[in-house]
Amino acid sequence: MLGFVWSLLNPLAMMVILTLVFSTLLRAGIENFPIFLLPALLVWRFFSIGTSMALWSIIGNASLVTKVYFPRWLLVVSSNLANLMGSTLEFLVLLPLLLAFGMKVSWLVMLLPAVLAIEFVFIAGVSLPLAALNVYYRDVNQVWDIALQAGFFLCPIIYSASLVPGGYAVLYSLNPMTRIIESIRKIFYHGTLPTAWDLLIPLVGGLILLMLGYAVFLKLEPKFAEEI
Amino acid sequence: MTGESIMEVVCVADLWKKFKIPHERRTTILENIAGALQMLAGKTFTYEEFWALKQVSFHIASGESLGVIGENGSGKSTLLKILAKILRPDKGKVETNGRIAPILELGVGFHPELTAKENILVYGTIMGLKNSDLKKRLDPILQFAGLERFRDARLKNLSSGMQMRLGFSVAIETDPDIFLIDEALAVGDFEFQQKCLSKFKEFKNEGKTIILVSHGLNLVKEFCEKTLLLSRGEMISFGETETVVNEYLKRVQAA
Repeated sequence: MLGFVWSLLNPLAMMVILTLVFSTLLRAGIENFPIFLLPALLVWRFFSIGTSMALWSIIGNASLVTKVYFPRWLLVVSSNLANLMGSTLEFLVLLPLLLAFGMKVSWLVMLLPAVLAIEFVFIAGVSLPLAALNVYYRDVNQVWDIALQAGFFLCPIIYSASLVPGGYAVLYSLNPMTRIIESIRKIFYHGTLPTAWDLLIPLVGGLILLMLGYAVFLKLEPKFAEEI
Repeated sequence: MTGESIMEVVCVADLWKKFKIPHERRTTILENIAGALQMLAGKTFTYEEFWALKQVSFHIASGESLGVIGENGSGKSTLLKILAKILRPDKGKVETNGRIAPILELGVGFHPELTAKENILVYGTIMGLKNSDLKKRLDPILQFAGLERFRDARLKNLSSGMQMRLGFSVAIETDPDIFLIDEALAVGDFEFQQKCLSKFKEFKNEGKTIILVSHGLNLVKEFCEKTLLLSRGEMISFGETETVVNEYLKRVQAA
């Protein structure tokens, strides 16, 4: 229970800090910064917490992996599902707060589950190879921490994707997380429908990653019990 | 192939298992990059190859039980882990028919932070029991283990004997066709051992298979029709228990 309260306090604190920095100190000029930020922050947390939790899902269950046989990917996906529960609760509790900041509710909210479902596939695709590699190389988590930090700034969480200069725009918009954040921002901040590309790029990217990730996982799985 | 019509429960043909023991540990990405750079500079990395099992072949017919004996480090536990699909062989074929419940190295895969009850639920689910079925079996499992009072105690706070009893009880309650036991009985007290032995008899009477790794030769003689003798990963002999156990005793005395 206390863990859940923390999981709400953490994004709230981030929202307050970033709002202070960007709308008071730096004066970035984004209206209603909390509404701009929080939904993006929550989908980013869904990804970053989901993947870093799943990273440990094989190693953390060493006692199971070395004693009973069952398809090991279940450990990764069950960790992802636990994270989905947590994230869903965060959304349910924190988004209504934005009403106090003047967020308008529209039927677009109905798209949230679809966006989260697409992101879930993407998360699973990233989690599978990460969890498997972490069994073999014990510093994968360190590398992933750095990658997540980079990701936080490389995705349009604290700024708008429209700021990215033309030369990089195409590459930038191919990042599935960029598109997911953009979708969520359109739904909650701009009040517009996400474009087909906003949903297709992460969906197709996620499915490809899931297939590749599963292939990597299967390749590494046979020696889990020895390497763990 | 003799073309017998008896169904084989376990069939192992030409099984090899190798472990690599590297001389330098490289378990992180950084160590591997450093290693790759050193290799470019002409350094060679060597590792010891250790064959834990060499050319092992045997089969168990339906209704038969197998004893696996041999000195420490002869490959008994490795063989059991391969049968339980936890390790994969490097070469050879392993076929098993039926659901396998393994008790390896005094544990069935419990989580130390979960309670006795939670562990039963997790393990039962992994073994493919339905939730409703599992709830019904919860009390009999705790009762057989003699741990009703400790249902909500965390596993790590139970003694090793209690943990083993719980593991044994839950494994046997999942209704396996093949029961793999690696020295598990040794930790239990006399009363529990007796309970287990009568459970084994029941189990055998139902025509199910027990694969027993044990240094207790009398136990092997009592329950196993066939016995496999391993030494340093090699199959010394496989056959009728009486003959194989005698051969083992002769080898030990000769050494």
